[in-house]
Amino acid sequence: MRVKILSMLFLLGLIGQLMAAPTETIRGRVVDQQTGKPLAGVSVTIKGKKGGASTNDEGWFSLNIPSGSATLIISSVGYTTVEQLVEAGASNIVISLVQDQKGMNEVIVTALGIQRTAKSLTYSAQRVGGDQINEVRDASFANTLSGKVAGLTITPSANGPGGATRVLLRGNRSIQGTNNALIVVDGVAIDNQTISGEVKDDAGSTNAGQNGSDGLSNINPDDIESMSVLKGATGAALYGSRAANGVIIITTKRGKQGKLSLSLNSGVSAESAFSIPKLQDQYSQGTNGAYTTATGYSWGAKATGQSVTDWRGQTVPLHTYPNNIKDFYRTAFSTNNSVGVTAGSDKVQTYLSYANNNAAGIVPNNRLMRNTFNARIGVNISDKLSVDAKGTYIVQNIYNKPGVGGDGLIAANVYNIPTSVNQQDLKVYKTTDITGVETPTYWTSTDPVIMNPYWTLNNTHHDENRSRFIGLMSLKYKFTDWLNIQGRVSSDAYNEFNATQYANNTVNYARQPGGYYSEEYNFVSERNFDVLLNGNNNITRDLKVTYNIGSSLLDRGSRHRITAADGLAYNNKFDLLYASTLKETVSTVKRQLQSVYGTAQFSYKDFLFLDLTARNDWSSTIPEPYSYFYPSVSVAAILSDMMQMPSWVSMAKVRGAVTRVGNDADPYLLAQTYNYITGGFGGYIASNSVKMLPTLKPEITSAIEVGTEWRFWNDRLGVDLTYYKTNSKNQLLKVTTPASSGYSSMYMNAGNIQNSGVEVVISAQPIKTREFSWNMTLNYALNKNKVISITPGVPFLFLGSSDNVRTATPRVAEGGSYGDLYGYKWQRSKGQYVVDTTGLPVYTTDISSVGNYNPNYTIGFSNTFNYKGWSLGVLVDGKFGGVVVSGTEAELAYMGMASYTTKYRDNATLVLSGAHPDGSSNTRAIGAQALWQSVTQGNYAKAEFFTYDATNVRLRELTLGYEFKRLPSFLKAAKLSFVARNLLFLYRGKSILDIPGIGKRKLGIDPEASFGNSNYQGVEYYNLPTTRSMGLNLKLSF
Amino acid sequence: MFKITNFCYTRVCLFFLIAASVGSCTKKFDTMNTNPSTISTVTSSQYPQMFAYAQQTPTLSPDNFEIGEGTIASVYSQFFGQAAQSFPTDRYVVVQGWMPACWNPAYTSAVPQLKTILEGTDSKSAENALANIWWVWVFHRLTDYFGPVPYSQAGNGQRVVEYDRQDSIYYDFFKKLDAAVTVLKTHAGEKPFGSFDLVYGTQSDPVSAWIKFANTLRLRLALRISAVDPATAKTQAEAAVASGVMTDISTDAYMQKSTKTYNEYNGLAVIAGWEDIRASATMLSMQKGYNDPRMPIFWQPSTADGQYNGLRNGMYVSEKVLTGNTRPYTSNMGTRWCSYSNGVWKTVYNAPQDIMHAAEAYFLRAEGALNGWNMGDNAQNLYETGIRTSMAQWGITDQTAIDDYVSNTATPAPPGDLMNSPAVNDYPVLWDADPVMQRKQVAQQKYLALWPDGMEGWAEVRRTDLPELYPVLHSDNTDVPVGTTIKRMPFLDTEKQTNADAVTRAIQKLGGPDNCATRVWWDIK
Repeated sequence: MRVKILSMLFLLGLIGQLMAAPTETIRGRVVDQQTGKPLAGVSVTIKGKKGGASTNDEGWFSLNIPSGSATLIISSVGYTTVEQLVEAGASNIVISLVQDQKGMNEVIVTALGIQRTAKSLTYSAQRVGGDQINEVRDASFANTLSGKVAGLTITPSANGPGGATRVLLRGNRSIQGTNNALIVVDGVAIDNQTISGEVKDDAGSTNAGQNGSDGLSNINPDDIESMSVLKGATGAALYGSRAANGVIIITTKRGKQGKLSLSLNSGVSAESAFSIPKLQDQYSQGTNGAYTTATGYSWGAKATGQSVTDWRGQTVPLHTYPNNIKDFYRTAFSTNNSVGVTAGSDKVQTYLSYANNNAAGIVPNNRLMRNTFNARIGVNISDKLSVDAKGTYIVQNIYNKPGVGGDGLIAANVYNIPTSVNQQDLKVYKTTDITGVETPTYWTSTDPVIMNPYWTLNNTHHDENRSRFIGLMSLKYKFTDWLNIQGRVSSDAYNEFNATQYANNTVNYARQPGGYYSEEYNFVSERNFDVLLNGNNNITRDLKVTYNIGSSLLDRGSRHRITAADGLAYNNKFDLLYASTLKETVSTVKRQLQSVYGTAQFSYKDFLFLDLTARNDWSSTIPEPYSYFYPSVSVAAILSDMMQMPSWVSMAKVRGAVTRVGNDADPYLLAQTYNYITGGFGGYIASNSVKMLPTLKPEITSAIEVGTEWRFWNDRLGVDLTYYKTNSKNQLLKVTTPASSGYSSMYMNAGNIQNSGVEVVISAQPIKTREFSWNMTLNYALNKNKVISITPGVPFLFLGSSDNVRTATPRVAEGGSYGDLYGYKWQRSKGQYVVDTTGLPVYTTDISSVGNYNPNYTIGFSNTFNYKGWSLGVLVDGKFGGVVVSGTEAELAYMGMASYTTKYRDNATLVLSGAHPDGSSNTRAIGAQALWQSVTQGNYAKAEFFTYDATNVRLRELTLGYEFKRLPSFLKAAKLSFVARNLLFLYRGKSILDIPGIGKRKLGIDPEASFGNSNYQGVEYYNLPTTRSMGLNLKLSF
Repeated sequence: MFKITNFCYTRVCLFFLIAASVGSCTKKFDTMNTNPSTISTVTSSQYPQMFAYAQQTPTLSPDNFEIGEGTIASVYSQFFGQAAQSFPTDRYVVVQGWMPACWNPAYTSAVPQLKTILEGTDSKSAENALANIWWVWVFHRLTDYFGPVPYSQAGNGQRVVEYDRQDSIYYDFFKKLDAAVTVLKTHAGEKPFGSFDLVYGTQSDPVSAWIKFANTLRLRLALRISAVDPATAKTQAEAAVASGVMTDISTDAYMQKSTKTYNEYNGLAVIAGWEDIRASATMLSMQKGYNDPRMPIFWQPSTADGQYNGLRNGMYVSEKVLTGNTRPYTSNMGTRWCSYSNGVWKTVYNAPQDIMHAAEAYFLRAEGALNGWNMGDNAQNLYETGIRTSMAQWGITDQTAIDDYVSNTATPAPPGDLMNSPAVNDYPVLWDADPVMQRKQVAQQKYLALWPDGMEGWAEVRRTDLPELYPVLHSDNTDVPVGTTIKRMPFLDTEKQTNADAVTRAIQKLGGPDNCATRVWWDIK
């Protein structure tokens, strides 16, 4: 099958070749003067003529020139442009380019796909090359961006391969909306919502335990040519509302003129659980120091091999199995293979690619399969008219996606296995009675929703299937050299089919006889149509203007349906036909946004730049006149060109920007309505308990940004500094009202969330010799968030779906900071801990802040060492400050399983130094079980005891590659790399509370383990561990 | 210069083209922004489904029942022990995060629908009368939890909702019930709301059943205020009995429950299946001592040792984890709610939920008769008929067993629990000559007859301080230490945050600090 696909790809590529009509052709090769390496993508044009060519991956170009001779202009980003006279018919011309002042002319793709040199940018944008993301790979490529861009915070996906990733730029600004950055591919925004459910509390029950997939993970990293990250709203004013959180602009590969070339990128990797809490290995299942199978606790007798009756009724020697958790997760092997073909003439350029990702999860039975087909064709119909068309088809299947959170989901089931129960024995997870009904077998649990994890693996399923098509067609007409118009239509649509099944007798989930089965259908579509006029003129000799004016129509819609069979007429027959009761949930979204926008950039002597942008949107989701307007102004000055600077300063630039971005709302929030509610007695009708907002206003984010960029010693050292401040006002908030008013909540426009911060990017090349070079980049970002106001009478809002505090809950409170976590604490009085008369801690009766989930600052430090054909990449990634509250640690402490619960077991001699409520010093001694079962009462923990400093520094990526030199003639390039991610922690935080006699405990989990990509962060509760991956990657070009 | 003019011209043309197209397109916006899945307006043809919703929701969905009633009234009444080891409410700990579960369904689910019906129907219609009766049923449970609650301004859609004093709420209850019964008596034979009346819709004569329901509720409320306002209590109780209260199990009120949707499941059955609750030592002390034929219906023997074992209320976690107190060793609810097979509890999700029963009416009348009110019969007859009606309600047909029970001189026994509890009290079933004991007997038998309705059980235990129950073993609430009993629930944090000024004024109306020790208006003993 794969051979067939490949041969078809070749065939398609050849068509592009055949359509070329060469007459007098010259052939040549462009190389780097210093390294002698071929340069790809170099533009070669004929002076005074239209058209041209660009070099292929190994530097070759071919070009038709008029008879006689012609002057070629050879230019490339980062190199000084060269003019060279050539004779017709010449072949094998070698042109060497000299490296330019690095970075100055680097091309950054900005809003609307407009390319600009970095020099002229008036705001902060950072470029990530395709090669930085397609070597170390992940099923969701966004996970590999961590540490590579200042101000970009990646929270990896939570549910195994293909889970949704949280992509945050410059902190959180929206209280209840998404804070994820907008993803734009080839000039068009793609849908990146998580349609099938965001996990918004730690129970995993009221909200889905499976966080749905996002849109970003559907992108094949091998198709990415480059990425630009526009961090503020500034660079993105032209994408409109959704760009207020910043934009990640992805430019995919396109066909190149020249010889057919084929590239293969093949990787295999092994993933394993990265960080698992340490379990105690001394004490058995039981309570109060005695072995018993009547409880799920591990507070039993010391296991010394004595003979006991185990949970199966067998007589066994008593041992502990401290590796139960580790042994449960597997080493998962993944393969990532992609092939890309490019071919083209001056008329038609084609790029075709196919990628296959087969990623296994560390939870057994969990797997992602993804096939991505991509075709891109550029056709120059005439000198004036050109077409660019792209189609990407993605089929993604995720099998048995594990849930996160508590209440009988996989991690909870594994972590609750008592220390003296061997998880191997649980593999016999069911018994079948004489009627053929399967029931789970397991040890006695203290929590009746906890089950045998192997039952969960084998008898419950959550499968996701998505097929997505992204199509783009753009037509460009050049009126003149300085004016062109572009019309573009794009469509991003996907169908998602998710099936969930719980076998009969699955506690808490299969509530009716026969089992539970549900099917979820989602159809999401986004259609965009736009027209853009681009022009540039010289107003005077020194003053140039570049302008764009456009209009767009964006239609977005979705249809969401869940059909559930609650109870099956035939045992475990997972088909809706067998439903004993069918339940339907349906929702529909339709919205339209119409926009008119324009930009103008004035450039004076190429050292002073002024950018003006303006946009007006008409949205169907806000009341008449549906309209809102937002402008931006920004400036940049190249100081080094304006005045004489010492020779060691190669570039100096200052820039500043003031922006506003408006945002509409979700649809259907204006009019009060009634709902039909399914029921067993003909159904119900009830008024909507949310009070709507007929006077809804668009949300406004205003931002200022100033920055300066310096490069020294021929760009051997570069420093980029940015300061920004954003205020998000008029946010659409769903505010809790007194329920007694008849409404549980109401919509209102309110709030002022401020983010301010500093970003520093230092790039340096400390060593540069002919054979050895060392490049480093340091990304530093600091963000301070302040909740300036919410609205009178509303002092705070919860970020999770409920105020039900199991561990801690993130809350946005006036005067506080976005992401403050609230929970119960140990009561203090006059600087002393309060201890009750039994010797146990006394807790606060109200929740208060235990810390904030956002880091104070982040540092990404990447190093690349090149020696001959070898390259070594080391990325160290650090997050400093912030806390995480670990519900898993709390549960393990409660169960007597955490490693630190062994202290004070045999002797109850822990006297907590503190004072009784009457002021006298505590002298009462307690034991470990009393302490830990007091500070955590099962699912409900006193947060402060399990709050950890989330500071962590890790070796994020390590790559060691070798570029083969001596290659057979059919092979142009070959590189083999060893790649590794999440190798080890260089530093990890400790618990914030120093419990007298116990001390500070080291954080057992990875603070990056998350619930998913919603704003509910900082709480860890039976999340899946993050993963470490190691693998080999082979890149070949033919 | 020419070039500039040229580009300006093109740009201006394009701009107008685009602007014109946009302007003409926004016409569709209002239609587009109308949710196809919701209803924009309702008329009287939707009222039956709205009434059904107002009935179903305040009897609480499983999740709301678990934390709004199951962890509060179910254990404060001592009808149940708290088997969930991590729940602290049994030690009088107030978990504010759980409180909205008993509050929100009434205000956000029942009140808006009832208001729509009350405002949209003729005040002389049967539908209007039913909405009024149900309004009282919903609010009497709420006010008995907290004292003052938003009542006259309930559902006002404002950011401030005033609380009403409990006495004014109660006096309005009587007015509403009286008026509703008067209206209903003019609608004999009608079927208001048809089968959407989830309490009596399946009966042949729902109007007369609702009249009995309203009068029984009026009688219940009359006795509730019999200490604080004896005169009104007497008038209301006698009027209720004269108008006709429930007299046999044919008009017993149950809320229909369904397996169709999760929120329609019987909440008590669900939490029994979840093993949140177990038999209380209190109930088993009485039932074992009396050899109560209802015991095997209320409870099941423990799965581990086949015995009826109960839990004391107010245990520390360290006591709850002792093997004899764990779930396998204690009695779950009876097979009407759940059954055990293959190591798994199977829940009867559509077990009807108990709302109000004729047996209670007899005990209320018996107490009224002891007060010297005209209750249509003497106290002893009413007491004994109450017991027999309760037996009939639970399907006991063995007349010998019932006779033996009524004439039983035995008293409650030590329940045999792990904490070695003594007998809970010493009241025999056989009608005693001593009027003091008679009141205790009425209270005790009514207590058994009210099971498993924890809300009503807890209200009556507070009002009469009878029957004498076990003290909680431990209290983690300094306002109500061991030896005292919990008297009310504090106002909700969610209300303090969203309706702060009104709550401040409500605390004045409460007449004491906003804690669990302050008594509600009718609780004056």
